[in-house]
Amino acid sequence: MNDLEIELDRLELIPVMPIPDHLTGEVQSKLAYVDELIASAQVPPPGDQIVLRLRQPAGSLPEARRAELEDKVQRVVTSMVKGAFKPKIQVLEDHLDRPTPFSEDPMSQLAGRGEISQEAPGVYSLGPLVTRLIGYFEGRFLDLAASFGAQPYRFPTLIPARYLERVNYFRAFPHSLTFVTHLREDLDAIDHFSQLAACDEAGVLNTPPASFAQVQTLLSPAVCYHLYFALADKTLPGGKLAATAVGNCFRYEAINLVSLERLWNFTMREVIFVGPKDYVLENRETARQRMHRVLEETGLAYRVESANDPFFIGEFRKQAAFQSAFQLKYEIRARLPFKERLALVVKRSSPPSTLAVGSYNYHQDFFGRNLNISLPDGSPAHTGCVAFGLERIAFAFLAQHGLDPAGWPVHVAEAIK
Amino acid sequence: MEINQSTDLTGQVQSLLAEVFQVPPGEVTPGLAFGDLPQWDSLGHMDLMLRLEEQFGVTVNTDLIAELVNIPAICAYLKEKGHE
Repeated sequence: MNDLEIELDRLELIPVMPIPDHLTGEVQSKLAYVDELIASAQVPPPGDQIVLRLRQPAGSLPEARRAELEDKVQRVVTSMVKGAFKPKIQVLEDHLDRPTPFSEDPMSQLAGRGEISQEAPGVYSLGPLVTRLIGYFEGRFLDLAASFGAQPYRFPTLIPARYLERVNYFRAFPHSLTFVTHLREDLDAIDHFSQLAACDEAGVLNTPPASFAQVQTLLSPAVCYHLYFALADKTLPGGKLAATAVGNCFRYEAINLVSLERLWNFTMREVIFVGPKDYVLENRETARQRMHRVLEETGLAYRVESANDPFFIGEFRKQAAFQSAFQLKYEIRARLPFKERLALVVKRSSPPSTLAVGSYNYHQDFFGRNLNISLPDGSPAHTGCVAFGLERIAFAFLAQHGLDPAGWPVHVAEAIK
Repeated sequence: MEINQSTDLTGQVQSLLAEVFQVPPGEVTPGLAFGDLPQWDSLGHMDLMLRLEEQFGVTVNTDLIAELVNIPAICAYLKEKGHE
């Protein structure tokens, strides 16, 4: 793309109200869902400007279309910023200063060695080195699960729409849903499809929408939900449960789907606790302490800090504030040195650039109440989970230590031989 | 007198909760707490915090969101801010 084109597709907007530091990332990520015209969106500091790259020259947009786009952008800003509570950031561990010998973006090397193969935005196949590295981390997470006596479970990749409706998922995270359908049980529709189905140049399957059945099922966005549904409308035997499972998870992130950092289809290992409040909170904290030792052995530079889930704009302001106030979520955020190096090209200094590779979560009695999971005394069960993104933690490790196991911490290098 | 004033404030807060959670006033007892009504969940709690700010002109920061989880705690905070 030449300079002239860069100028032509750029659209700068002044937000209706300044976007505070703590919300620039959140607003930027939500702009991905505003309009199909948007190819990229940035909210540079100090948050008094929004820079969009469009899929067509901004000057060629009809006035009404441009006004519609701007209105949608400003709706996102107003909804997320107006009356926003400032979150209380609590740092439980800070090991970001651990040495990270590698500072390149590992993606090009991974692709060059055939270690990754992109099938679609946010969809990758992984080769032997990355698979072994993920296997190493999986082993450590299974050790963690075993230390709690967690029972193993296997859950499906599909999840019924009515399940997600029951836990308010459609209101909280509509933007990231992935729907499942199939051809209707109709001979004509199936015949028509089998003879004429073809993908266009963009990979779009050209099929009349009426051929598809109505959506009753989605691709699952999380692992632990399946356990809560399995326990729904029952009394929890023994009053407490530790469980573990790994599964494919799906969260659509539009133009935010970048490298192995943000995958549409990713794998999550969870250790899940169900029981009284104290049982869940104590185990969540014990898990963090045990993971501290594991992550130390891997040489990962990371920080554990309070966080919120990526609620959509309608619920973001209130839900994020609630999570922050009650300290419901902490993320393990690993350094990505190559991003800091890129930032230094344009600025003299840069704060650490990090990627969430895991989280420690407490849901209070939300699932216990909504799904009627009872403790033996009749009260609703509390739940919590410790979750790890397997591709992400492997990516962060490679971004910090490179692709040559000879340069890795001995513990990891030995384990994957 | 203080008891009456306190009762008045409690009554105002009870009325506010009944309005926010759209329940009959009789369901909002003076000791009501987060989770006692299905409507007083995470979203309901944040709606309540916003209404407290609007109606009483107080600021509810993140620490207070976790503290104002029952009517006596809300009344104590409002009293501290000069409401009677």
